[in-house]
Amino acid sequence: MEHKIYILVVEDEPEVLDSIVRDITMFESFFPIEMADTAEEARELIEEIIDKGDEIGLILCDHVLPGDNGVELLVEMQKNSETLKTRKVLITGQAGLQETVRAVNEADLKHYIAKPWQKEDLLNIVTELLTDYVIENTENPLSFMQVLDGERIADHIRKSGGLTDK
Amino acid sequence: MSKLKLTGLVLGLLGFAIPLVVTFPGLSLAGHLAMSIFLLAAVFWMFETIPIYSTSILVIFFQVILLSAEGFINYSEIAYTPLPYTEFIATLADPIIILFLGGFVLADASVKYDFDKNMTRILLQPFGNRPKYIMLGLMMVTAVLSAFMSNTATTAMMITVILPIVAKMEPGDPARIGIALCVPFAANIGGIATPIGTPPNAVVIAALNQQGMDVAFSSWMLYATPLAIVMLIVAWFVLLKLYPPALDVIPLKLDGKLKKSRNAIILYVTFGVTVLLWVTEGLHGIRSSIVALLPVAVLTLTSAFGKNDIRKLPWEVLWLIAGGIALGISMKETGLAEWMVTAISWDQFGYLMLLAVFGGVALIMSNFLSNTVTASLLIPLAISLVTSGVLEGTAGMMMIGLVIALSASFAMVLPISTPPNAIAVSTGMVQTKNMISSGLIIGIIGIALVLLLSVVYWPFIV
Repeated sequence: MEHKIYILVVEDEPEVLDSIVRDITMFESFFPIEMADTAEEARELIEEIIDKGDEIGLILCDHVLPGDNGVELLVEMQKNSETLKTRKVLITGQAGLQETVRAVNEADLKHYIAKPWQKEDLLNIVTELLTDYVIENTENPLSFMQVLDGERIADHIRKSGGLTDK
Repeated sequence: MSKLKLTGLVLGLLGFAIPLVVTFPGLSLAGHLAMSIFLLAAVFWMFETIPIYSTSILVIFFQVILLSAEGFINYSEIAYTPLPYTEFIATLADPIIILFLGGFVLADASVKYDFDKNMTRILLQPFGNRPKYIMLGLMMVTAVLSAFMSNTATTAMMITVILPIVAKMEPGDPARIGIALCVPFAANIGGIATPIGTPPNAVVIAALNQQGMDVAFSSWMLYATPLAIVMLIVAWFVLLKLYPPALDVIPLKLDGKLKKSRNAIILYVTFGVTVLLWVTEGLHGIRSSIVALLPVAVLTLTSAFGKNDIRKLPWEVLWLIAGGIALGISMKETGLAEWMVTAISWDQFGYLMLLAVFGGVALIMSNFLSNTVTASLLIPLAISLVTSGVLEGTAGMMMIGLVIALSASFAMVLPISTPPNAIAVSTGMVQTKNMISSGLIIGIIGIALVLLLSVVYWPFIV
């Protein structure tokens, strides 16, 4: 694999951060997970990842954070061409209607997960969004088949002709 | 650039240079240049220094500038009449390429209208819900489809069918491995059944055509389809023995309904008529490559297959085949192929031994290399064995062609052996070691059967 596709988790409460990361640990060997507890730290991480030539496939972001809030960060990522395609998810209990609407309209929010969440729901959402991401943005999504939605990836190969007899 | 590719680059350039500085006795100047091209292509194909289809394009490019009448080398004082450059570039429109083009259009249109997927669901229903027979059904449907479509696309489609089936099985059930392996194996085997089943068949048929041998679609099927059926059953038995199902019944819900739109119906009719004309070529005598123009014409003029669909055709596969055909032309015309085979005293080998050597080499090579590349490298040598009299006549030529094409397709030991294998391993249901053990058994039985047929069956019908 030429470059890595990261999952970024932004959450200020250590226990919650831990529990998110624990829930999605099955993806870690294919999608390295990075953690940040503020929007500022997240920005630095994003810059680092992009500078290495890697990309961010998915961000799971809390809304209420010390300093800039989560929606602010997501909107900013949407404006940056390097993170435009990153699938953006809010995990929060406290984003109001207005902010949520803003995240949908201006950051192309893909999902809103209300706390507390069910592990299974979280896994399904992450699987679906990462599958979307690899189908749209990688030349050969085959290598992710076993950890993501294999049926959709196989169907994509069938339709796209990305892989042929040789 | 990885170390492997870099090694390939160095070796390839070295190979290209050797015949330019070393003089081989008995080989003409043109033969030396053809050897440069051959060595470069062989190394680049093996190491995949550049994509395999680029190597094919490079072959044609070098032939035009080094070996054609319009090229840079003046052959007027040498006993070699260079071919016009149009001969080399015409490989891109060789009848077999047109046949494949027709096949590609049918296959891609089938995918577009979900014909492949829905047919599969309908065809699988009679096989019931016992794992053993589900597997047989999967294999038969896969093989039939891959005889007319790409093995890879068929496998990808079948994976979408088997994933929900496997999800209903216990995680430790060995039949999960069996089911995951049966699809790529059946796809590889099904590819041998028709001329358009898989690209190595094309390279072999084109080489035979150049010798003035016509290989009708129906004749190829007569030679190869019985073997495909037997191999399918062999593979089924092997996989059942190695991975016996733990469950008696798998609840299966398959609802397939063919689309009924105007374009979909046009496709069904075109598909049916084309395949019917292909398999009956022996009766009416209309060449399969001419029939292949029918789906291209009908599907595009009715807009069932549009501009964007045409752009999405796997053109690089056609380039890959064309390069293989072109390589054979220059090796034959310059006398290189004959020179290479006379270096070994083949007369000491018996007839069967000779076929066994080519079959074995093809099987081993194509486990690591592309099947098309394997056929492209071996068929020029095999053909010159026949023309130089070591093997006998047209029957001998047909048989060694079959041995090479079929053995190349029976290589399914590793994930890299064929793209269908790679897809199966990517699902995570199979490990490479499972593939090695079962693929090895099937490959060895396959080549044994190929040799058996070349004694008891082909000599009597070719």
